[in-house]
Amino acid sequence: MQTTSTELPAGRKRKTPGSGLSSVWRHIVRDRQLLILFIPCIIFFVLFRYGPIYGLIIAFKDYNVYQGIMGSEWVGLEHFRRFFEGPDFWLLFRNTLLLGLFTLLWAFPFPILFAVLLNEVRSIRFKKTIQTFSYLPAFLSVVIVSSMIIDFLSPTHGLVNEVIKFFGFEPKYFLASSEWFRTIYISSDIWQHMGYDAIIYLAAIASIDPTLYEAAKVDGASRFHMMRYITIPSIMPTILIMFILKSGAMFRIGYEKVLLLYSPMTYDVADVFSTYVYRKGLLETNYSYAAAVGLFESLIALVMLLISQFISKRAGGRGLW
Amino acid sequence: MVARSALNPRFTFFDLFLVVVLSLIGIVTVYPVLYIVAVSFSDTASIVQNKVFLWPKGFNLDAYRKIIEEPKIPRAYLNTIMYTGLGTFINLLMTAVAAYPLSRPGFFGRKYFMIAIVLTMFLSGGIIPTYLIVQKLHMIDTIWAIVIPNAIWTVELLILKSFYESMSGSLRESALIDGASEYRILFNIVIPLSKPALASIGLFYFMGHWNSFFIPMIYLNDPKMLPLQVVLRDMLFFDTTQQNSLIEQSTITPQAMKNATIFVSMVPVLLIYPFAQKYFAKGIMLGSEKG
Repeated sequence: MQTTSTELPAGRKRKTPGSGLSSVWRHIVRDRQLLILFIPCIIFFVLFRYGPIYGLIIAFKDYNVYQGIMGSEWVGLEHFRRFFEGPDFWLLFRNTLLLGLFTLLWAFPFPILFAVLLNEVRSIRFKKTIQTFSYLPAFLSVVIVSSMIIDFLSPTHGLVNEVIKFFGFEPKYFLASSEWFRTIYISSDIWQHMGYDAIIYLAAIASIDPTLYEAAKVDGASRFHMMRYITIPSIMPTILIMFILKSGAMFRIGYEKVLLLYSPMTYDVADVFSTYVYRKGLLETNYSYAAAVGLFESLIALVMLLISQFISKRAGGRGLW
Repeated sequence: MVARSALNPRFTFFDLFLVVVLSLIGIVTVYPVLYIVAVSFSDTASIVQNKVFLWPKGFNLDAYRKIIEEPKIPRAYLNTIMYTGLGTFINLLMTAVAAYPLSRPGFFGRKYFMIAIVLTMFLSGGIIPTYLIVQKLHMIDTIWAIVIPNAIWTVELLILKSFYESMSGSLRESALIDGASEYRILFNIVIPLSKPALASIGLFYFMGHWNSFFIPMIYLNDPKMLPLQVVLRDMLFFDTTQQNSLIEQSTITPQAMKNATIFVSMVPVLLIYPFAQKYFAKGIMLGSEKG
């Protein structure tokens, strides 16, 4: 992007793409080797990225395997009507929104706080050690993390219930009770991603001009003053960008962890659009209905992204694009 | 006073607070992993009586012996290695090749290709249509369902593209003057010079394959083909349902077996990640710049 026409082969002069087919053709001929290299990428995106978008038309059809996507019968908005009028819609909407919103609000400040605190540590070795520990969980799979959650919260042998019993209370079956689901989901999310998400803030802190701190020291600023008036304002743009990114993705709740941790006992708070799509579509093979729900979910997610983009632009910030 | 203490760092109350809080965070993040290891090496009696906290109690290797003897877990391990190896290779090859034309300023239709690619970060058909396409291509129950439908991650493609763009064009240019084809320039100059960037995105791909459970779960039905994460997932539900009845018959608790399996599945990750952190940090930075 930075490099200009110097990039072009010396022997072949750059033709400003004029009008007319012949100039397009010349361009293709000139770039034929690059185009050949690009073919696998085109096939991939057409098949596996745009193909599924095209496949969404089954949301308006009654898909069956024999007739395929093209041949199946049109039913219009029937699946959407059934979904909106059915009993699941508001529950799923509420669950997805609340789980996403609470995760955003609770989990967002931790990496920032962690990065700021870590930056204050004077011993480089201690800092490095803690940081290395801190993002270990991000490398563990959802299955392993879920297994840990199940173990630690187990009513028969889990550490958490051992502590509860030690203080003389009744052990609790946390994963079977709806009121605990969100807490478990969100706190394990913080546990898993805090250190990893802090990387970006630490990098932002590292790029702050050190003369700012030196000047502040000379003026007699305390470490709290420097944190409050130098560190945090300097990383504010990064914080804002991350907030837009995360709030735009708020509605996209990964189904993996929910799928591993929920049970029919906690569906009333844990069932979200994506898990519902998985159950209806892949387990019950209601492809069309599930595709309709999935389409609705993507539309909401897109709207959320556009809203957060709009707000950030209005607030004078840098948008995502 | 304040100025002096800031200029000559002394160990203040705030430093103590930092050490305590951050040590706690460190302990909390690492403890569950240590606990898994401790349980996997402990004997049944200690596990059942809840005596294991940090170190193995009644050290033994029965759980490991058991998971090696059972064909299920070594097979799953091999499957995971195969999917991760082939998958990461295809990812890197596809991404390295696809990023090259996109990095060339005058490439035919570059602007439109870029728009089409970036759009897929915000628009997706979702799992159902994707599943139907994979089914249509007869990939269900084959390794291709695991390695092909996600052969290029858009973010990694954009990262590599901007890395190529930041490379000096002079080598490429002189090669072109010498009459080298684009293929030779890509494979003999650009790719060898991009090793750090490829290592960085390769790590993301590697981790993605190694830890993936949802994709193999939906695309593979044959129990012989399942990777470790899916097998592990089936073991999760031992915990509450069958544990107590099984203890009578077997000397090894399902909990020890599960944790032994988790530990062996974590070994490559634990070996790689301390060395990989600089690449990861780089990848995250580049990725976030691109948005």
